[in-house]
Formats: sequence, C-alpha cells, structure tokens
Amino acid sequence: MLPRRIFQFFLIYCLAVAMLAAIKYGLGLSDYVIPGPQLLWKTLQSELGRYLKDAADTMTVAVVGQLLSILLAFAVGIFGRRTTWLGSFIKVAAYNVQAYPIVAIAPIIFILLGDGFFSRLLIAAMICYFPLLLSVLGIMSEPIGDIEHFYRQTGRMRWQLEVKIRAFENMHKLTTVVAGSSTLAMAGTIVAEFIAANAGIGYSIRVALYQSDLAKILVALFIIGITLSIYQGILELCGGLAKRGWVGRVAA
Amino acid sequence: MKHSTDTLLLAIAFVVWIVAGLWAQNAAASDAAVTYRLKWLKNMSTVGDLFALRQGYFRERGLDVTIKPGGPERDAIRELELGYAQFGVASADQVIRALAKGAPVIVVAQLFQVNPLQWIYRRDRISVETLTDLKGKTLGVTFGKNDEIIMRTLLARAQISDAQVRLYSVRLDYTPFFKGVVDLWPVYINTQGVEIGGRLASSGEPVGYFNPDDHGVRFVANSVVTSQDMAVRHPDIVRNFVQALLKGWRQALRIDNGSLAVEAVRQYDRDSALHVLQEQLQATRSIVQPTPRSVIGAIDHTAWQETENIMLQHRQIAKPVTVIKYLRADMVR
Amino acid sequence: MQPVAWVPGMGSIRGESDCSPMVSARNPEGMAIDRSDRPRESDMHLECRHIEFFYPGSPKPVLRDLCMCLATPGFHALFGPSGVGKTSLAKLLTGGYTAASGDIVSDGVDTVLYSHNQERLPGWSSVGRHLERITPDRHAALKEILTAKFELAPYLNQRFDQLSLGQQNRINLLRYLVQDFQVLIMDESLANVDEQTRSRIVLTMKQAFPEVIFLYISHNVVEVAKFCSDIWVLRDAHKTPQVMKIQGQDFKDPQSTDLPSLEKTMLEMINAA
Repeated sequence: MLPRRIFQFFLIYCLAVAMLAAIKYGLGLSDYVIPGPQLLWKTLQSELGRYLKDAADTMTVAVVGQLLSILLAFAVGIFGRRTTWLGSFIKVAAYNVQAYPIVAIAPIIFILLGDGFFSRLLIAAMICYFPLLLSVLGIMSEPIGDIEHFYRQTGRMRWQLEVKIRAFENMHKLTTVVAGSSTLAMAGTIVAEFIAANAGIGYSIRVALYQSDLAKILVALFIIGITLSIYQGILELCGGLAKRGWVGRVAA
Repeated sequence: MKHSTDTLLLAIAFVVWIVAGLWAQNAAASDAAVTYRLKWLKNMSTVGDLFALRQGYFRERGLDVTIKPGGPERDAIRELELGYAQFGVASADQVIRALAKGAPVIVVAQLFQVNPLQWIYRRDRISVETLTDLKGKTLGVTFGKNDEIIMRTLLARAQISDAQVRLYSVRLDYTPFFKGVVDLWPVYINTQGVEIGGRLASSGEPVGYFNPDDHGVRFVANSVVTSQDMAVRHPDIVRNFVQALLKGWRQALRIDNGSLAVEAVRQYDRDSALHVLQEQLQATRSIVQPTPRSVIGAIDHTAWQETENIMLQHRQIAKPVTVIKYLRADMVR
Repeated sequence: MQPVAWVPGMGSIRGESDCSPMVSARNPEGMAIDRSDRPRESDMHLECRHIEFFYPGSPKPVLRDLCMCLATPGFHALFGPSGVGKTSLAKLLTGGYTAASGDIVSDGVDTVLYSHNQERLPGWSSVGRHLERITPDRHAALKEILTAKFELAPYLNQRFDQLSLGQQNRINLLRYLVQDFQVLIMDESLANVDEQTRSRIVLTMKQAFPEVIFLYISHNVVEVAKFCSDIWVLRDAHKTPQVMKIQGQDFKDPQSTDLPSLEKTMLEMINAA
C-alpha cells in the first residue's frame, strides 16, 4: 500500500513536471519562468536537507494538530450523538462552521498569538476538527440495530458499549476520514505558514515565491507529496493494525 | 487501454491549449496596447506612473497603457516572458536573479536613484548610529527578499554573526514592531515609513531611520524593465513608453503639480489621509530626484554592479551575469 | 430442583436420538432446567386487549381491535401471511412499539425478549467469548448443554462473520436462551437452519424450558402445526376477529406420526389465514 502510494505520487509529479517542460520548451521560456530539469536537479540537491527539515516541522504540527482534533472530535461527537438539544446544537454548529474557510482567520490568530508553534498547531487542529466532528457525529448517531438490539433487549447497553459497537462497525469510514483529515491538516498548516508563519515548508515556499524561484517551489511540493504519502500510508497501516488488534486473532 | 489513450490525448490537448494561449498573448503585444506591471500596489511609489496615465502622456505617444498592480505573487519579469505584460517594475535583485536563469530582460530606466528601503526604530529606546550598534538587536527582515540580503551585507561588513543578532521574520502586519518585540523594522521610507513614523510620532515616540546607503551599501531598487524581444521588435514602442513614463515622473514631482500628483494616487489609495500622501510625495521626491541636478530615470551602473557583487557574495547567484550589459538607457535617448 | 449440569457419564450426546431425555441421577423423569423461582403456569400471562396499531403515516390500521392472551407456558406460534403485522405485534408485546389504542397487560412477566434472524454478534471477539460474557454465571451449565445440542462447539473460536447463516441463527438464539426471561418471541429466528436441525432445536427448547412462553413466528405451516401448542393465526385487519387461536399438535417426540391430526391442523391454519 505505501510503496504503491509513493509510486502513484511519483507518477503524478513526473507527469506534472513533464507538462511544465513541454510548455517551457514549446514556448522557449527561460529557467526563470519554468526551471529546466538540470536546474531542478541542482535545486533538489541543494535544498533537499533544508526542505526535509521544514517538511518534518510542518508534519509535526499537522500530526499533533490532527491528533488533538481527533481526540476532541471523538469526545464531542460521542457526547453530541444523543438527540438532546445540546446534541442537535453541536451537529448544526459543526455543519455550519466546517463550511467556513478556517485558514482565512490564520492571520488573526498569528497577530494575537504570535508566530510560534502554538499558532500553527491551533490552525492545523481547527482545519481538520470540524469535518472530523461531522463524520464522528454521523457515525455515533446512527444505531447499528442488528447488533445493539440484543444488548438493549437484555438491559446490557451502556454508552461505552454503544460507542464501541458503532466505532467498530464503521471502522473503515473512520479510518478513511482520519486519513483524509491528515491531508486537510497538512494542507491547512502549509497555507497558514504561507500566510503568516516563520517556520515550516509553507514558509519556505513563501520565501521561494519572493525570490520567484519556481525550482525551489517544485522541490518543496515534491517533498510535501512524499511526506504526505508516507504519512497517509502510516495512517492506513495503523488503522489496519488497530482493527486487527481489536478483532484479535481468531482461528479461521 | 482505451482509457490510457484518452488520458494521454487529453493531456496533449491541454498542453497545446496552454502554448497557444501564451503565443496569442505574445502576439497581442505588437499592437499599441501595452500592459505595465508594477512591483507593488498603486501607491506613492508609483506616482509618476499614475500621473503619466492620468495626464494622457501615453496616449499622446499612441500608446494604450494598462497599469496593473503588483504583489508578492506577481513577478513583472516572468510576465514579460510569458507575454502577460510588456513593461514592468522590478528591483535590481529580481533582474539579476532573472538574468542568472536566462530570462531575456533588459532595464530601460531606474526610477529610484536612492533605495527607499530603510529600517525604522524608536529613538528613545535604542540608538543605531554605527553598524556595530546592531549587535544584540532584533532585526526585522523579509526572508527571501532584498532587505534580507541588504541586512546580511551590513552585518557582514560589521563582522556581526547571526548569533549576535536576532533576525525576525517580517510579515505585512506591524504588530511585532508596535509591541516592541522587534527593534528595527524594514520600511519603504516614502510610503510605510511616513505612515508608521507619523503614527509613532503622534503618540510621542520619536523615530529614527537606519539607512544602508549611509553605511556604504548601495542596492538598486525599482527600475523599469522590458523584454529583449520588445527591444528588438518594437524599439519605437519601448522608446515612446519610457519617454512618456519619465515625463510623468518629472511632472509628478514638480512642486507646483503636488496636488495633481496626490490626486493621481488618491484614486487608488483611499486609506491614506491627505497629509500622509503629501508627506509621502515629499519623501518620494528625495529618492527619485535626490538633487536638483539628478536625471530622473538615469541608470546608475556603479550601483548595479555593486548590487550584483553583493548577490554573488551572498550566493544569491552562482556566477556573474554582467548586469551592466543589460542596462539599456540608450533605448530611450 | 437444582440446575442440571452436564457431567461425564451422563451419556454421549452424539449417536443418541435427537431429543432423548437428558436424565440425571437427581431427576429421573427428564431434564428440566431449574427455574423454580419463576411463576408457574397460572401465574403469568401476557395479554393484548383491543389493540389498534398504525404504521407511521398510514391511515389504515395494521392491527385492529386485536385481542390475544399468552398464559400457558409452552411453544406457541404466531402465524400469518407476509405483511399482516406479525413483527409489529411482536414489537408491541416487547414494548418496542406503542399501540394507538388498547392495552397490553402482563402479570408475572418481567422480561419479554424478542429475537430475529437479522441479528449479528459484535465482530471484535469470537462467538465463544461473547457467549461467556453475556451468560449469567447461574446459566453456565445451560450454555454448555445448549452449545452441544445446537452443535456449535466446534465454532466457538470463530467470529460471527465466519459462520454460516444457519450457525449464525443458532448462536443468536442460544444467547437469548441463556438469559432470564418469561417470554421469548422468535421472529423467524431459525429461518436459515435446515429442517432437521430446526426440529431438534425446537424439541430441545421444549424440553429444556417447560415453564416459559415461546412465541414462534414462522411461515412454515408444517413446522408450526407440528411443534406448536397454541397457534395464533393473524389475519388482515379488515377481518374479524383479526387473530384466531388454533390448537397445534405440540409434538414432543420426533417420532410422532399422527398425520391425520397434523393435516387437520394445517388445514385449519390455512383456512383461518
């Protein structure tokens, strides 16, 4: 799964670079507008180390932000699954807020809280929190009648069991939404860094943009793609391990 | 199999479409309609450009000029090559970087004879008379832009290492400077400098300006550029454009044209108060025409060479580009 | 009576007739699982009085002026054509639905359970582990006996989705049988089990649970006529009465061959529907 993911990204990236090269040589554009393969390669060699560090920095923020938002989304989603007025309020609020471009308020957050790690973390967490919450709410609100029926009949149902049943039965959906939120978290963190931070790969892209250095931007995008592919692969692996660990090893 | 063929055909069609579009853009330049891409927003740093347009100097010379504002994501030199613009404003570091990568750009006029980039500071908190006074200070720089290069040049000349200062990444909001987190903040003396300095002065905080030029660092700023292709195929358009443009600058900076000049800018800059614009105009005069004898638009070869040397020194370019070969003031004589 | 535990020496289950009486030294008359704390025959009943029920949004009643009374422990049936309202009636009896009018009265009935053949066990553990967790300690022995009788012992290490449909039906029913209840409604609970096994299971249940009421919902005329005691035939709402009670053959012995009586009961059922 992971090698295939990386291969797919490689393919798409190379196709995109090939298209740029076609435009470059078709129009006779200089390296300043579209960098040639040689310049790209040189830039990759010179910036790889620095950009890997920046990407790791951004990834750390995105991962921690995503983890926080997963925990919070599950806590609120489990609490808000009931059809009480609070549960309904949470659902409606989540639905409305998730449509709002959170990244647009990034400059305000940076102004109020400064440039540091915490501002980026907050933006990363906010960006993936609301879609996660909506998914968790949807999953936790939907009864699994086939399984829950016995426990309700026999008076054994507890909220913990109800959550466990619904989470287990929707494991695939949950892992998909968690994997998807990783992309959101990463993209959101990068955009926030681009707008207003002083660290991370998004910030490096902004610096490259000031220098009109498309080669650096392409290298940065390459590293982002690889990092994200690896991260999503790891998430899928963790999801599979979690499911196997939960289900246990039963004899066929 | 069929699916892969379809995808490939689609990709080829897309590339052909892009190329055709860009070729069409290039073809449009042969008419008298030209686009002039600025370096930043339409403000007092572009007063001569806006004045020329407003007073009809371009029309007099048979040119239909569209002035477009710049920004961090806009690059006039790139647009010249792609055919989106025929003229643009770029700083020397942008031109030199572009030349290093083979961009076919030439410089036809130098608008700012003095680089307006300086660092503002609070005089009642710190004193910055010499380069060594920078030690221990928090210095705002825009990483990747020319102020970073200038500051690093200054620090190198003073033999101050990175560990002896704190370089603070600057964005568009001035809050860190107002809060006192940053000691020296980069501003354009004729625009932000007036605004911020005025705001601090009105709250009883005297300000000073740290000028790199005072310490021997000359780094050329806004200049008018066009493509080599334009110079070869349409030398008359280039000449007419630059002459109209420089006329606009000369007239805009005349004392008796002050209110007209302010009005030309005010239609685009509605946020700045009238007295601020007037101060900005005064400051702009001092950088475009530092002395009464200064020729507006003249290209300072020595300053350009120095700029190239600084960029070489800081490894912004891998090898010399001999930028003076591309300074074509002869185009407008 | 003490609960009977299967002990070695009682006799191998395999090879005996499907429902030979499970004799213990303490109960030579036949096995009965001790439910001495449960009400006797006359102590419990579950009654529907003039029940009227509509499907949501429907103007026509599904159940109209329905009256029936379950008062005798035993294996009874609720029979009728598809869509007549058998499941709805079952859910009314368990409290899952609320009638538009009428009453459901019970006496001596603490727990009414309802099982159906679409149920699933949680997928995170084996079925054996699940059984262990949901079986009260006092019914552990019963669980062992029923597991053997339902021929589920070889599959206890598997997860529910690894079982066949028939095995799934059996394990689901088994877990209900080890609970405390007075009434168990089985809505096609053995629909995927083969006829022979089904017969064996029903006879086991009749033997093992003489003091509870089973209400068996099924479309199988022969099976219902053969094994059930009271057969409640549910008819369309426009018919009066909507439910009719017919006496079933209540076979307790798989070798019973009173075919004429069986045929008579089957005819009565079909005519009543």
